[in-house]
Amino acid sequence: MDKRLYEAWESCVKCGICRSVCPVFKEEKTEPFVARGHITLLSELIKGNIDFSEETAKDYLYKCLLCTTCVESCPNNSETDTIVEIARHEVIRRHGLPTYKKVMSKVLKSRELMDFAFKSASVFSPVFSKSQSKPRDGIKLRTSLAGIEKDRLLPPISKQTFLDKYKDDRKRAKIALFPGCLINYTYTSIGDSLVEILKKLRIDFTVPKKQLCCGAPIYFAGNFEDARYLAKKNIDLFLNLDVEYILVLEPTCASMIKNDYPKLFMYFEDKKWEDRARELSRKILDPVKFLHDKTDALNSLKRLNIKTTYHDPCHLKRAQKIKDEPRAFLKKATDFVEMKKADRCCGNGGTFSIDYRDVSLKIAKRKVKNIEETHAQYLVTGCSACIMQLADILNQEKKDIKVRHTLEIINMAMGGKSEG
Amino acid sequence: MNRRALHKIKNIFKNRCLTDKLSRVQYSYDATQKMYLPDVVVIAENTQEISQLMKIANRYKIPVVARGWGSGFTGGALNIEGGICLSLEKMDKVIELDLDNMMVWVETGMVNYDLQEYVKPYGLFFPPDPSSWKFSTIGGNIAENAGGPRAVKYGVMKDWVKGLEIVLADGTIMKTGSKNIKDVAGYDLTSLIVGSEGTLAIITKALLRLFPLPETKKTMQIAFDNMSKAAAFVNKILLNGIIPVAIEFVDKDAIKTVKDATGVDLPDADAILIVEVDGSKNQVEEDAAKIERLTKNESSVMLFRIAKDEKEADDIWFARRSISPTLKRIADGKLNEDIVVPRSKLAEMISKLQEISKKYGLPIVNFGHAGDGNIHVNIMYHTDNKDETKRAFKAMDDVFNECIKLGGSITGEHGVGITKQDYLEKQIGKEQIELLRRIKRAFDPNNIINPHKMRL
Repeated sequence: MDKRLYEAWESCVKCGICRSVCPVFKEEKTEPFVARGHITLLSELIKGNIDFSEETAKDYLYKCLLCTTCVESCPNNSETDTIVEIARHEVIRRHGLPTYKKVMSKVLKSRELMDFAFKSASVFSPVFSKSQSKPRDGIKLRTSLAGIEKDRLLPPISKQTFLDKYKDDRKRAKIALFPGCLINYTYTSIGDSLVEILKKLRIDFTVPKKQLCCGAPIYFAGNFEDARYLAKKNIDLFLNLDVEYILVLEPTCASMIKNDYPKLFMYFEDKKWEDRARELSRKILDPVKFLHDKTDALNSLKRLNIKTTYHDPCHLKRAQKIKDEPRAFLKKATDFVEMKKADRCCGNGGTFSIDYRDVSLKIAKRKVKNIEETHAQYLVTGCSACIMQLADILNQEKKDIKVRHTLEIINMAMGGKSEG
Repeated sequence: MNRRALHKIKNIFKNRCLTDKLSRVQYSYDATQKMYLPDVVVIAENTQEISQLMKIANRYKIPVVARGWGSGFTGGALNIEGGICLSLEKMDKVIELDLDNMMVWVETGMVNYDLQEYVKPYGLFFPPDPSSWKFSTIGGNIAENAGGPRAVKYGVMKDWVKGLEIVLADGTIMKTGSKNIKDVAGYDLTSLIVGSEGTLAIITKALLRLFPLPETKKTMQIAFDNMSKAAAFVNKILLNGIIPVAIEFVDKDAIKTVKDATGVDLPDADAILIVEVDGSKNQVEEDAAKIERLTKNESSVMLFRIAKDEKEADDIWFARRSISPTLKRIADGKLNEDIVVPRSKLAEMISKLQEISKKYGLPIVNFGHAGDGNIHVNIMYHTDNKDETKRAFKAMDDVFNECIKLGGSITGEHGVGITKQDYLEKQIGKEQIELLRRIKRAFDPNNIINPHKMRL
């Protein structure tokens, strides 16, 4: 057992603070679905006092958003996210992966398979889905499919992927872009916005074609082996580039590469790769933070006549400590109103929103009132998974509020052609 | 557990009756970090089903332990000899808000902070505010007669509970108390049950008094280079005609621990007092100015600051509220006692604690509610060191003995539970313990409600 893991759970004094902040516990209200409960379960599991059947493991361990609100509020900094990830890994080691997660791992490990899957989806999209009145907001399935209900608003599938669209021009570039799967295949307009901004600022960039999924969905499912495969491929690719920064557009991917890659190799006691992961970690940067700290973007903004509010993505605010920079842009360019509990998780949590749709929606619904109270026309956030979740809930609640990425608003304020 | 009894319980609670080991483990601990496995966990949704449960438990003589959010420090909600863990965490609603009488009926699984949030829009608040208020329930607060920083001005739970709905051991549902401000009919059963540590009845609903939200408040931080002088300063404040809403103190070791753990900016002092005054704007300004003047005449004051806004006030309080869970950084073992002495004896008690720390060579971290003489004494030791462990328990003996000598009590907030039961008799005497047992028998002849707490 890793000494650091032992310390992580030893640091829990079972005081119960985590109960007061956990979004899942707020809906479930029973001990197994809170950090203190998860920590106890893992300790009992490792001690051999209890055995996890696949079903109970699924219920107890997978019903966690890994939003790290508990970690943030724990006076002892107990790393519950790490503990849950390792517990999930233990379960998978003992019981294997559920079928759909096996398929997901296989697809995510291969760019060709992913391209094929999404291109097919794009071609056949009109057959099984219908666009909404505002196509930017997404599509809905005609019938429920593979655990996704037909009333769920899904991101639109792009005809051309982000990686296909831009050049792998690494000669002059000091910056590389890592769009992440959602932006690569669906919300390409977010990536386009960043490209337009960089061009206006005359900053050269490269888009390495061979980049793979960061592995976050696989890692969070507890499948460390396949996550390790992806991590190695990406580390090799990006460390071979002569760039200063790698701008990762998705906060989850950024957090995965920055924080979880080193952790992943630590579990396998693979010092060489842990060091390489740490080397890469230092180059990872959120694009909005980059624009704020390293460029003159803030001073190039024109005032837009719109009212905005902002939702903090968990992997941006807690995993990367970025909260002021996006607000600085929004305050400069728009009429910005802070909403209550802006940093409360939206309830997406990757496959959580498929596995526990009802809980996920209940969590999202709690945000609607806070968003509405601001009377903002635009809900802005820095993560496309949050965009997917919040656009869905606002659509279901029939609220006429547009959901946009911070980069899209910045681009608009710099005179870009982003669809408003 | 008797199979027939279990079958009957399952019929009542259906899928809210949990018997698998995983679930039972989840309800086997609280903040004492001790684990006692219940035989079955039931998650109640209403009083009727609790009444039915008690009838079965009483017939088959099965222990029943009520549980809120499991944040207690003395094991009050632990199933010492198995039996039924009765979770009230889903009974968390407001039943009736009576604005004319400024009272509220709530289910006791409601979290203290959630009640505060509920009544705030009406310009009201519920004064008892244990440090755990965000994660402890009204039921637990009542069972332990909890207090908090505001006790110095507003008192503790018993001062705010006007009535209760309880379920007796035989399943009888009963209401005690009333909405009358004055009511002296019969024994005051409400007051008897408040602080009974869940040993007399299951508390399902509570009628609570509310108070108008003060117009404003001010939070101050005063750093001292001498702990005893800080303790003595508390009385100076009160003798000058100021009743602060809270006077908290944090000692040197606690300051260091919190600084290391959370990175908050705290002065390098021997002790810090956190003083908060509330009331009308004028009153608050006047009180704060008076306190500032007092600090100027006190040579041991190193620093005085008033929080400029709510955020700064929160930061000052954050440090205080974070101490307890961060102590594990000093050593993995902690004897956490919440002794209380008459306020006039506070400085003397602090000196005694420092002597005891030296005598046994163990760090003793002290913080707490100086305004009401309630000190959280934390004797730190390493559990893998037998000699240190032995010394820690001896030191605790000394702490209790000195406290009782000064006319104090072994517990001001956490209750006796299982962790302090050895000392109860020392404080209140054999005859009183026997009387407690007779009262317990009158409520619960088969001793099924939370047995083994306070040696009852």
